[in-house]
Amino acid sequence: MKPSRPTALWIALALAPACYRGTGGDGGGAGEGGASEGGEVPAPDDGGVGQMGMRRLSVDEYDNTVRDLLGDDTRPAAGVLPEDAVDPFDNEFAGQIASRPLIEGLEVLAVDISSRLLADVPRRDGVVGCMPMTDTDADCMAEFVARVGRRALRRPLDDEEATRLVDLGLQYAEDDSDFYAGVDVVLRALLQDPEFVYRIEIGSPTDEAGVFALNDFEVATRLAYFLWGTTPDDGLLDSAQSGGLSTSSDVRSRAQQMLEDPRALDRIDRFHAMWLGYYRLPHAADLTTAMRTETRLLIEKTVMQDQADWRSIFSATGTFVNDMLATHYGLPAPGGAGFTWVDYGDSGRKGLLSHGAFLSVAGKFGDTSPTQRGKLIRKRLFCQAIPPPPPDVNVDEPPPDAPGSNCKKDRYEVHRSVGACYDCHELMDPVGFGLENYDQAGRYRATDNGAPECTIDGEGVVDGSAFNGPAGLADLLMEKSLLDTCVVSQIYSFAMGHDVAADDERFVDELTGAFADGGFRFDELVLDLVGDEAFLYRREEEG
Amino acid sequence: MAIKRLHRRTFLRGIGGVAVGLPILEIMLNDHGDALAFGGAVPRRFMVGFHGQAMGGDGDPERDRYRPDTLGPNYDLKQATMPLAGYGNVKDSISIISNLRIPYNNSGPGSWNTEFHLGAMPPLLCGVSNPDDSSACRGITADQAVANAVGTATPISSLQYQVQPSWYLTDSAPYGRDTISYKLDGGGSVVPVLGQASPHQAYVSLFTGFMPTDPGDAEGAIRELAKRKSVLDLVHTNIDRLMPRLGAVDKIRMQRHLDEIRDLETRLAAIPPDAGGQCQMFPDFGDDPAIGGNNNSNGGDGFDVNAGYSDEDTRARRFSDLIHMAFTCDLTRSVALLYTMAQSHMNVHSFTSIPYDQHEVGHSVGTTDGVSQVLAWQLDQFAYLVAKLRDTPEGAGNVLDNTAMVLLYEGGHGLDPATGDENRTHSTENMIVTVAGRAGGMVAGEHIDGNGMHPVHVLNTAMRAVGVDEDLGEVVGTIPGLLA
Repeated sequence: MKPSRPTALWIALALAPACYRGTGGDGGGAGEGGASEGGEVPAPDDGGVGQMGMRRLSVDEYDNTVRDLLGDDTRPAAGVLPEDAVDPFDNEFAGQIASRPLIEGLEVLAVDISSRLLADVPRRDGVVGCMPMTDTDADCMAEFVARVGRRALRRPLDDEEATRLVDLGLQYAEDDSDFYAGVDVVLRALLQDPEFVYRIEIGSPTDEAGVFALNDFEVATRLAYFLWGTTPDDGLLDSAQSGGLSTSSDVRSRAQQMLEDPRALDRIDRFHAMWLGYYRLPHAADLTTAMRTETRLLIEKTVMQDQADWRSIFSATGTFVNDMLATHYGLPAPGGAGFTWVDYGDSGRKGLLSHGAFLSVAGKFGDTSPTQRGKLIRKRLFCQAIPPPPPDVNVDEPPPDAPGSNCKKDRYEVHRSVGACYDCHELMDPVGFGLENYDQAGRYRATDNGAPECTIDGEGVVDGSAFNGPAGLADLLMEKSLLDTCVVSQIYSFAMGHDVAADDERFVDELTGAFADGGFRFDELVLDLVGDEAFLYRREEEG
Repeated sequence: MAIKRLHRRTFLRGIGGVAVGLPILEIMLNDHGDALAFGGAVPRRFMVGFHGQAMGGDGDPERDRYRPDTLGPNYDLKQATMPLAGYGNVKDSISIISNLRIPYNNSGPGSWNTEFHLGAMPPLLCGVSNPDDSSACRGITADQAVANAVGTATPISSLQYQVQPSWYLTDSAPYGRDTISYKLDGGGSVVPVLGQASPHQAYVSLFTGFMPTDPGDAEGAIRELAKRKSVLDLVHTNIDRLMPRLGAVDKIRMQRHLDEIRDLETRLAAIPPDAGGQCQMFPDFGDDPAIGGNNNSNGGDGFDVNAGYSDEDTRARRFSDLIHMAFTCDLTRSVALLYTMAQSHMNVHSFTSIPYDQHEVGHSVGTTDGVSQVLAWQLDQFAYLVAKLRDTPEGAGNVLDNTAMVLLYEGGHGLDPATGDENRTHSTENMIVTVAGRAGGMVAGEHIDGNGMHPVHVLNTAMRAVGVDEDLGEVVGTIPGLLA
C-alpha cells in the first residue's frame, strides 16, 4: 500500500504547458475552445476534419469503463441506462438525448458501484491508493481525488475542482467519522460528472474557423474508446500528460501498442458483430456462444495473428469449431472441448458468410428470408442503399402462393414479377437465394423447410454475376471492391459516432486507398485512421 | 463543515414529531369528502396509457372483438374485454369510446399521411398533424399539458414509465416508436420525454425521501438524502462551469442534461410525504426481470419463444403498483405509461401461445382472434391498476373517483391508406379508446359512440375532467356524453 503523499506533484503536472496541443491549457484538459475566433495553430492542410459533438458513454462503454476504472466487472448499466439505439452501431451521438431515466440511472449506478467497491476492501484499497492515517486524512483524500479523478474524467483535475471534491469528501468523512464515507461521496460525484458521462472534446481554435485542435487528453480518450471501447488507462494518460500524443506518428505508434491489448480484439470483434448484425443471436446460449467464438477466432487469426489480408475472413477455407458446432454444421467433429481449425473441403462453405453467426441474422418468420439476406448483404457488406418499399406495398406479408408450386423460389418469383416490386427485389432476392442452402442457424439443407419436394439449387446472382453458396459469393466479393470500400466507411462511423459526411470524405477516401495499397490489413486500416492528422482535430457541429 | 441544513420537515421528523403528511387523510377533508377542509380541492390525477396494437387481424373482416354491441351502461364484454369482468367487475369503472377515427391522407386537423407506424402515432398522442409521417410529435402530449397546469403542486411534475424495455430487433432502431410523451424544452422546442423502463429504478426514484419508521433507519435515510443533494450540487456546479466552453449544439445537449439534473434536485428538495393512511411505501421489488434478446425472426415455425420478452407481464404489474402509490400519496398527478411500443416486436408467446411477435400477430397470423388475445393481456394489466385505485379509499370515495385515465391503442381496423386495402391493421378507422375514473364527473361504465371523432377528443375530455381546460394540438373539443 502506498503511503500518503502531498498533492503538489499532480497539480504541477496538470499545469505543464507541454501537455497541450496548440495554445496550451488551463489544467482543465478540456482546452480553450468554444469560441469560434481563429487561433494560431494551423488546421490540417488536407482537410478531412469531421464534425464531432459530445458523446455519451454507451451502455457497453459505461460497463467497460467502470470495469477498468474501479475493477467492477458486474456490467451494471444494461437495463439501468436507457437502451442505446443500434443502427448498426450503438454509439451515434446525435441520437443521444438526456432524459430522466438517464439521470436516475446514472445516480443509481453511482450509488451501487460505490457501495460495491467499499464492501470489497482489497479492491477498495487498490482504487483509493493510500491508507488514511486518520478518518480525515487530507493528504490521502487529495491523492485519491487526484488519481481517480484523473482517470474518471480522463484528464487531470484543476485545482479548484480537486479542492471541491476533497472538501466534500472530508466533510462526509468527518461527519461520519469514516474516511470511506468521504470516498463514497467523491466516487458518486465523479461517476455523475458530465465529463465522465460524456466524452467532451473542446480543443483549441485553429486558423480555420470552426476547426479545433484536440489536446492530448482528448486524443487519448478518442483512442481508448475507439480501440478498447473503454477509458484510457494510467499509461495512456501519462503519455498525454507528458506530451506523448502530440503528433500523428506518436498516436500511431501508441495505437500499435494498444492493439496488443486483449481489449482491442474485443473491440474489433464487436465492430464486426454490430456491422454485420450478429452481436445478438436468436439461439440458445451455448449455440450462440459457439457461433460467436467461431467468428471471433477467425477475426483474431486474420487480423491479429497472421496480419493477413482482411478479406480472407470472407474467403477462409476452413473454420474454428468445437464438437458441438461441427456436429451442428455437419462438419467432421475435431474432438475435444476446444475450438480447432477444420478444413471446409468441398462442403461449399467459405469464410464468414458461411458462419452460423452471419447466416442467423436476416431471417423472418422462423425461416431464412432471401429478401432480408439480400438486403443485409447490399446494405451492410456493400454499403448500398436499398430504396424503401413503395407506399402501396405491405412488407409484412409473406410472398404469395405460386400457381402449382409451394416452393419458396417460385413464390418469391411471383412476388418479384409484380411490376412495382421488381426493381428493388431484383437487387435483393437473387443475392439471398444464393445462400438458401443454409438455414437460419447455418445448417446445410437440400430442400425447403417442410417441403422435401422443393429442391434448393443455391443459385444466386449479384449484379449480373452468378454464384452458388457462401463460397461462390465470397469469390465474387474478392473480385469486386465493394467490400473493402464499405468496411472503411463503417469503421470510420464506428470510430466517430456518425455516418460519413461531406467533411469526412477526404479522410475516408485516403483510408480506402491506403487499405488497398497496403494489402487490406485491418490492423493497418485502424492505425491509418488514428494516424491521420484529421484524427487530432474536430469540426464544430452546425447548429 | 457540517452537512447541509436539513429541511424544516426533516427537522420536524428528527425531533420526533409526527409530521403532517401530504397524502389525503380523511381528517383533512371537508364533510363532503370532495375538498380539503382548509379550502383546497382534492387533487385530480391523470394518466394516459398506450398499447402498440391495432384492433383486428390483416384481412379479417371482423374488425374487432372489443367494441360492445350495446351502447350505454352495462355494456357486453367480448374476447378482448373479458378481463373487465374481473377485479370486482371493474367494468363499472371503465368506459369504452368506439367509432373513433384519425384522418389520414393529410385531410384534416390532427391527421397523418399514409405511413402508418411512424405517421399515425404523433397525431394520436399530441393532436398535431404529421404530413410527412415523421415519427415525432410536433406538439406536447396530454400528460405534459396536465403537468404544465398542475405539476408544481407535487414533488414530481409527471411520470413516464415504459413496460416494454427493449426494441428487440438488432437491425433497426425504434426512432420514436418507444416515446409517448413530448414536452417543450427551455428554448421552446418540442422534445421527447423518455420513459423509465426499469421498475426497480422507478421504485427507488418514487420513494425517495420516504422516511423509515425506525428512528435509526430514518437518520440514515436523512443522511443519504443529504449526500445525494451534495453530489448533485457538485455535478450542477461542474456543468455550469463547463457550459460556456461548449459549442452551440453541445450547449443544447448539455442544457437538456442539466434540466434533468434540476428536475431531480427539485424532487430531492420536495417535502416528501410520510407514509400514512393509504399511502404506504411497499417493499422493493428487487431486480428487474432480465431483458429479452434479439427477436429478429419476428415469429414462425422456428421461433425462439424465449427471445424478445422481458417478462412484461411482471413489469406492467410493478409499474401499476408504483402508479397506484404515486397517485395515492399525491407524488404526481400526471402519468404516461407505455405498455408496448408502436409496431411492437415483443414476443407474445408467453401469454397467447402464439409463436410470433406482437406486430406479426396482426399481420402474419392475421386474425382478429389472435389480436384479441394480445388486447386482453394488456387490458387485464390496465384493469388491475384501475381496480387498485378504486379500492383505495379517499375521502367519501376512492382515488379512482378523482382520477381520469385514458388508454390509447396504436390503430383501429379498416382502410390502409398506403395500399387502399380494407380490413387492415395499418388503419386509423374504427379506433377505440378506453377510459377509467370519475374525476370531474367523467362518465364511467358506459359504451359511448364516438361518431367518427378523433381519439384526441377523448384526451381533451379527460384533461377537462382533471381541470385542465385545454385542447391538444389542432383537435378542438370533447366527446359529448363523456363528461357529465
